[in-house]
Amino acid sequence: MKILVCIKQVGESESPIQIDDHGRWIQTDAITGYQMNRLDEFAVEEAVLLKEAYPGTSVDAITLGPDRSAEVIKRAIGMGADHGVHMITESEGYLNPFNIASRIADYARDKQYTLILTGVMSEDQMQGQVGPMIAACLSLPWATSVIRQQLAPDTKSVLVEREIEGGRRDTLQLQLPAVLTIQSGINRPRYPSLSNLLRANKQKLETFQAGDLTQPQLRENVVRVTYPENSRSGTILTGTQREKASRLLNLFRERALLR
Amino acid sequence: MKQTIVVIVEHFSGQIKPVSHELVTCARRLQQNTAAAVKAVILDADPAKLAREMADTWGLEVIAVRISQLTSYNGEIYKSVLADLLRELKAAYVCAAHSSQGMDFAPALAVELNAACITGVEDILEVENRTCFARSIFGAKAVAHVRPEKDLSILTIQPGMFRPQKPDKPVSGSVTNRSFRCETLKTRSRGIKEAEADMTGITEAGVIVSAGQGLGDKENLDLIYQLAALFAKSAVAGSRIVCDLGWLEYRCQVGVTGATVSPQLYIACGISGAVQHVMGMRNSEYIVAINKDPAAAIFQVADICIVEDLTTFIPALIEVYEKTKSDGL
Repeated sequence: MKILVCIKQVGESESPIQIDDHGRWIQTDAITGYQMNRLDEFAVEEAVLLKEAYPGTSVDAITLGPDRSAEVIKRAIGMGADHGVHMITESEGYLNPFNIASRIADYARDKQYTLILTGVMSEDQMQGQVGPMIAACLSLPWATSVIRQQLAPDTKSVLVEREIEGGRRDTLQLQLPAVLTIQSGINRPRYPSLSNLLRANKQKLETFQAGDLTQPQLRENVVRVTYPENSRSGTILTGTQREKASRLLNLFRERALLR
Repeated sequence: MKQTIVVIVEHFSGQIKPVSHELVTCARRLQQNTAAAVKAVILDADPAKLAREMADTWGLEVIAVRISQLTSYNGEIYKSVLADLLRELKAAYVCAAHSSQGMDFAPALAVELNAACITGVEDILEVENRTCFARSIFGAKAVAHVRPEKDLSILTIQPGMFRPQKPDKPVSGSVTNRSFRCETLKTRSRGIKEAEADMTGITEAGVIVSAGQGLGDKENLDLIYQLAALFAKSAVAGSRIVCDLGWLEYRCQVGVTGATVSPQLYIACGISGAVQHVMGMRNSEYIVAINKDPAAAIFQVADICIVEDLTTFIPALIEVYEKTKSDGL
């Protein structure tokens, strides 16, 4: 069995976000550091768990991004993926989900993957589009927000539970091959092992130039980026910690909230 | 034929979901800059009653699509049926909910129809005389204005952003009945599992003290409990990350995938304020946010902002509280 897991490198969530002078995108050089999209870690872990449960399974990890993104592929190999694929982009700007999905689908088309996994969304763009789009490009069944999966190789199907509103779960049976977007909490992603990381450093990644990312023609484009507006007064308390503490307690007393 | 703005009515277990009314409101706002008719589409094994309800509430033309296999939501059926129907309707915009359903079918449908796909839409704007859509990016630290470059845009609309203004005495709209048959499916529904976790603990609390990843360490959870103990009828909750880390149980989770709460007071401690969390708590009466990152998105929805490290601020707060209490203040 072959599994493809699609991952993304994102800026650290605590990194400051500064908008560029033209208001068209953010200043990427203000990002303090990069890491694997946290939600993709659950997808990598799920792929590695399947590899452990089904001997003979191999896991390929793919990403699309600038040179620095090779780090997340190495991390995925460190977690137990077998092979890394890097589609190298030149620009740092906005990447359109359809253009990402169609490139991944082109790569996957003739490789006979049983499962294609990815995180439920990226932490930076939060679009959640790439997974279902890959499925549509390849005419495969898909399920998003998967919180449990049970593979049934004999019936060539996978039983999944999708997380839906109100803590409920929708159960579906999908014919394989299928695309799943993995919700956080489905497992506990492991740390990369030292031996795997050493292997990752030695191993050559399969690399491609992703080419012009405005092709095929963009279906939507970011024309402006702004800072959000406050929806409430957002009074900032000032002073020392103790001064802030007593002002806050007074506010609680005025509202009769304290015991 | 005139173009249309199509609302995909979301329903669950025989009930129209409140977000469906917001989708109509959003569609009517889009109608102000587009010469198009608003139509609602409802897909179900037995859509008649819900279709009538939407037509009566809004005075809207509703297309009731009967699909016998569709006993509960199925992305594959939605994609194939809607693709055919939207082509026929000459849709310019499709308004679906940014929910477990809309987020599932919208991107796949957009591929099928060569359409633009914009998810998590919070507002409609005009940029250089073109209609654009605002959505949060980078953990809600910025907002992107996204412009469709296609004649058809599939939108998923963030719940709670378009307040429904239902007409007082609507002239009842028409219902058109259609039926579709789906060929062999690769996706089969196997039923809905009810929620296991009981969330009444946090949904009924008057005061919620909530922890985020900024807690740093599970041991610091003790501070959250100590802070909660200052209030009567209080409860401890957390963001999804804190539950994923195993620091709190999932029944304590506030946000899109957890509980929606509206207590008298919500204290967000070390919570970044990503949209998924904010959706679950922004209707709280009074919101206090404690975070050491002055740019944290949680401050945008807070009444009171405290830029401090919670591990030192909460002990200081408790100390001042104890002192003023013993002083008889």
